[in-house]
Amino acid sequence: MTEEKALTDAQLVESARLNPESFGLLMERYQNPLFHYIRRLTQLASDDVQDLLQEVFIKIYQNLNSYDSDLKFSSWAYRIAHNQVIDHFRRVSSRPKTNALEDYEWDKLIQASVHLEKELANKDCVEKIKNCIQALPMKYKEVLILRFVEEKEYEEIMDILRKPKGTVATLIARGKQELKKKMKEQNIDCL
Amino acid sequence: MKNLIQDTLNKIKKEHIAPEPRWKFLSRKIGVWIGVIAVVALAALVISVVYFLLAQLDWEIYPLMHQNMFVYGLSVMPYFWLTFLGVLALLAFLAVRKTENGYRFNWLLIVSSIAIGILAIGFFISRIGWGGRLNGVMMHQMPYYAQNVATKEKQWMQPEKGFLAGTIRAVSGSALEIDDLNSVVWNIQLTKQTLVRPSVTLAQGQMIKIIGTRKDAQNFSATEIRPWMGQGMMGADR
Repeated sequence: MTEEKALTDAQLVESARLNPESFGLLMERYQNPLFHYIRRLTQLASDDVQDLLQEVFIKIYQNLNSYDSDLKFSSWAYRIAHNQVIDHFRRVSSRPKTNALEDYEWDKLIQASVHLEKELANKDCVEKIKNCIQALPMKYKEVLILRFVEEKEYEEIMDILRKPKGTVATLIARGKQELKKKMKEQNIDCL
Repeated sequence: MKNLIQDTLNKIKKEHIAPEPRWKFLSRKIGVWIGVIAVVALAALVISVVYFLLAQLDWEIYPLMHQNMFVYGLSVMPYFWLTFLGVLALLAFLAVRKTENGYRFNWLLIVSSIAIGILAIGFFISRIGWGGRLNGVMMHQMPYYAQNVATKEKQWMQPEKGFLAGTIRAVSGSALEIDDLNSVVWNIQLTKQTLVRPSVTLAQGQMIKIIGTRKDAQNFSATEIRPWMGQGMMGADR
């Protein structure tokens, strides 16, 4: 088991193809990051996020033979989680109304999106900016979360969303623009 | 959270869930690429028809039609095929993007690869004559196609504009009798100024193109006679 823990993701995938127990180690590595990623994209309760995460793990397991080791395993796993979340909202015919982010996650997102140099003292203002972010279309919110909360590189976002680099860059830039536009519309001037 | 891992492993074992076989993914990948190749090949067939249609026309006669090259070009473009070609090229682009790693390719690389693929396969298809054959099938099978495509036959069957083509029935002195492409009989008057291109043989059964002036429903005065194929300059130095 200790030896297995030293294996890389790709080696664990190789091993998990033959032995489900090895898959347990992969799940152990990714349960936290994927749990939070799903939570950030959805506003589901913890139990529901766990249910969705289990579906993601099953999907990952079923698709192990399609994993291409040229890709980072984490990007591939995030991609499956992303698709599963989209499928989930399609199934229940609804869209996430808000992003259930923790305070520190909101801070990261707001600071990066609107280029804050200093901390926002005005809590009311933070709430207003949160509302603006929540009002953004899913395609912008998702990419801003991946970039500024998950702190993923452009290449990783490309692999997760299966979108060209230029499209990812455009989505991030437009997401920021949209946010600023919404803030301007609502006369939020507390930066 | 620990339970989640054990629960998932239990579920995998209990429900006998297993990784899907590699061949399934591989065949899916190959299927998408076969789709890409099929679309590119179809686009290549279309470009070979475009080439056939444009190459068969006489491009040097536009001044005689009182047009400039640009207007003439616009009037003879096979828009039906060009639209079809555009749709197929777009489809090929989207299909490449849909492949496993398609999103990683630069769009310029995809566009240029598709263009090169279409041109290379199109050149080969043109060489074996499939472009002309498909055009022939369309002419006979598809309603409205013949009326909407500029062909050499249409170009040379405009006696009112001074262009006529047909097969020589008889030759007598300074006159010819021809059956035009619609089997209408015309009397063609030749004068000393009539230019008969070097490779033209004025004999019964020969197909010719005539530039001149229509006198009436059956009489046409020729200023220039060319063979049906080409401009008739071969043998000019004889």
